[in-house]
Amino acid sequence: MAKRQKRFEVLADRAVNQDGFIKEWMEVGLIALDSPQDPTPSICIEQGKVVEMDGKKRDQFDMIDAWIADHTIVTEVAEEVMAMDSLTIARMLVDINVPRKEIVRLSVGMTPAKYVDVLKRLNVVELMMAMQKLRSRSTPSNQAHVTNVKDSAPLLAADAAEATLRGFAEIETTVGVGRYAPMNALSLLVGGQTGRPGVLAQCAVEEALELTMGMRGLTHYAETVSVYGTEQVFVDGDDTPWSKAFLASAYASRGLKMRYTSGTGSEVQMGYAEGKSMLYLEIRCIMVTKGAGVQGLQNGSISCIGVPGAVPAGIRAVLAENVATVLNDLEVASGNDQTFTHSPIRNTARMLMQFLPGTDFIFSGYSASPNYDNMFAGSTHDVDDYDDMLVLQRDLQTDMSLNPVSEEDVIAVRNRAVLALKAVFEELRLPPITDAEVEAATYAHGSKDMPDRNVPEDLRAVDEMMQRGTTGLDVVQALAKRGFQDVAESVLNMLKGKVSGDYLHTSAIFDKDFNVISAVNDPNTYTGPGTGYRLEGERWDLLKNIPAAISPEDV
Amino acid sequence: MAQSQQDTAAQDAIAAMVKQVLAAMNQGGTQPSASAPAQSSGHLDAKKDYPLAAKRPDLVQSASGLQLNDITLEKVVSGQIKFEDIKIRPETLEYQAQIAESAGRPHLAANMRRAAELTRVPDARVLEIYNSLRPYRCTKQEMLDIAAELENQYQAKICAALVREAADVYEKAGRLKAA
Repeated sequence: MAKRQKRFEVLADRAVNQDGFIKEWMEVGLIALDSPQDPTPSICIEQGKVVEMDGKKRDQFDMIDAWIADHTIVTEVAEEVMAMDSLTIARMLVDINVPRKEIVRLSVGMTPAKYVDVLKRLNVVELMMAMQKLRSRSTPSNQAHVTNVKDSAPLLAADAAEATLRGFAEIETTVGVGRYAPMNALSLLVGGQTGRPGVLAQCAVEEALELTMGMRGLTHYAETVSVYGTEQVFVDGDDTPWSKAFLASAYASRGLKMRYTSGTGSEVQMGYAEGKSMLYLEIRCIMVTKGAGVQGLQNGSISCIGVPGAVPAGIRAVLAENVATVLNDLEVASGNDQTFTHSPIRNTARMLMQFLPGTDFIFSGYSASPNYDNMFAGSTHDVDDYDDMLVLQRDLQTDMSLNPVSEEDVIAVRNRAVLALKAVFEELRLPPITDAEVEAATYAHGSKDMPDRNVPEDLRAVDEMMQRGTTGLDVVQALAKRGFQDVAESVLNMLKGKVSGDYLHTSAIFDKDFNVISAVNDPNTYTGPGTGYRLEGERWDLLKNIPAAISPEDV
Repeated sequence: MAQSQQDTAAQDAIAAMVKQVLAAMNQGGTQPSASAPAQSSGHLDAKKDYPLAAKRPDLVQSASGLQLNDITLEKVVSGQIKFEDIKIRPETLEYQAQIAESAGRPHLAANMRRAAELTRVPDARVLEIYNSLRPYRCTKQEMLDIAAELENQYQAKICAALVREAADVYEKAGRLKAA
């Protein structure tokens, strides 16, 4: 164009125009929901066995079909629900007069194509309504990412403590350098319990190492157990539904909570979407999870959010996959954990889909470190957004599970967490945390404010610690010996949680007194206005009173 | 009087549950059933008995037989508690499976019953078996050998059935190691 229109010049510079968008492209699966190549729902059952599903005969089943047919679908209700009109079921999802219980009774008989046929009829407001009504646990909560580019243990401990003080019920770390994993796990274990007793911590690394750390009592749960919607991608991920189901049982056998991870777009990204819609393939993941008897799932596209984010109705499909998860009566950790746009407007709009209705974990990785330190490739929101989030809660009277905190309290808890970790390092003969590190971690914004550690020395010590067979009990002893009785007691109580197994149930978290809160004893009973979880009473009083608010007396 | 009656009732309930644990171990099969009796005699109830730690501490013991109250900070500090003492035992997972069933979650219950079996398999062997179940790791015979080991050495019948099923599926799908 010879001459640009000035408004268009300005628009071209807007952040949203740095994002990538793509038109639907069926053959490679670049379609959010409702591909013409998605199968038509059908089921045929003979002698209690699924012999046909979504137009495929049993002898044509791939591994995922076979798993879902034999382990997920409850044949006793399948014929009943498959005979129902999809629009009728879609309306039941948003009908306050149909209880959650009745919907869940029926949903376990639906095939993957039936789920798509139901969910594609809901717009985003209806999907949010369905989420509000169908999520498993009544009380919403949140998970935070706690990482940094230096794998600095003192900073991890301080960030973990601040995150848990701010209200995150679960905290998740990962590594820059792989061998650091056990030290990072240890830092979250100590920091997390210092900030708020009862918080669950995990360290996301390769499956076998992750399980080993859990077995040793250095973590409380796991989530990086990926499942995929086509057989080829599942196998390329070096697993099958059977290996993953065995792994699920292995976790439970050590008293450890776990959830799977999946998300729309992963099959496109890995090149084998078989021309199916992203939502259809994701529902297969959800149903693999259900059939494995895993209590929950992290989805909402997760690390592939750029893919649905680029196609029409992609963000709606992401909400639909979250709803499909709770429709399967599973815990949902609903994404909002990866940067997908340059536009702050898009970023917030995407998050409202889960924040407004509330989910088991609205963010499955709010960045409790600045995004430059986020080793999960950056989250949608980070430490610099805390005050915006507090104001959103207050504006909308909607709980994001974040607490207003004072600067004094944050300084105190960060400091104490690093001192506790310093003591544990000394007792476990790990390279010392210096006074300079304690000071820096207490006041840091991020790892740029931290002195470097001696990485080879750290890694040698971590390897030795693992070879010695250090367990969570050694951490308890170290803390108690060095005067951190309360933190020691908390770490021990978390170990005792694995003995009773109460937190293996759907959507389980602990409160500060180690009472388990799950879909079993805190079930979602929403049936319209005046019911279900509502932000009122003491909790509302707390969230109203953000530090920035002035009183009439002060005017 | 009331107290001792309660004690007897509790003991009877425990005996009945142990029977069920053993029965469940011998059943095999993993297909969940929505029509499984949720609250037949001796089955735990999600509303009454959950969480076990708070409502039925009498039923919770660690793998080494310690009650939750026995696991104290003092004992950990003085070295009287070993890591064995803070592991979950199969009976507890069976109780939790009953609670999952009573809450309408037969799939979760099935996973907890496989887990109950795996408590008897050492950490390192659990990891090895997991790796063996990954695609292209084993021949069919190697998978069947693992199933036999699970069944015979660890009385893990449900897990053995899962591995046998995997062997058949992998064979059909061409996901076995070339013999």
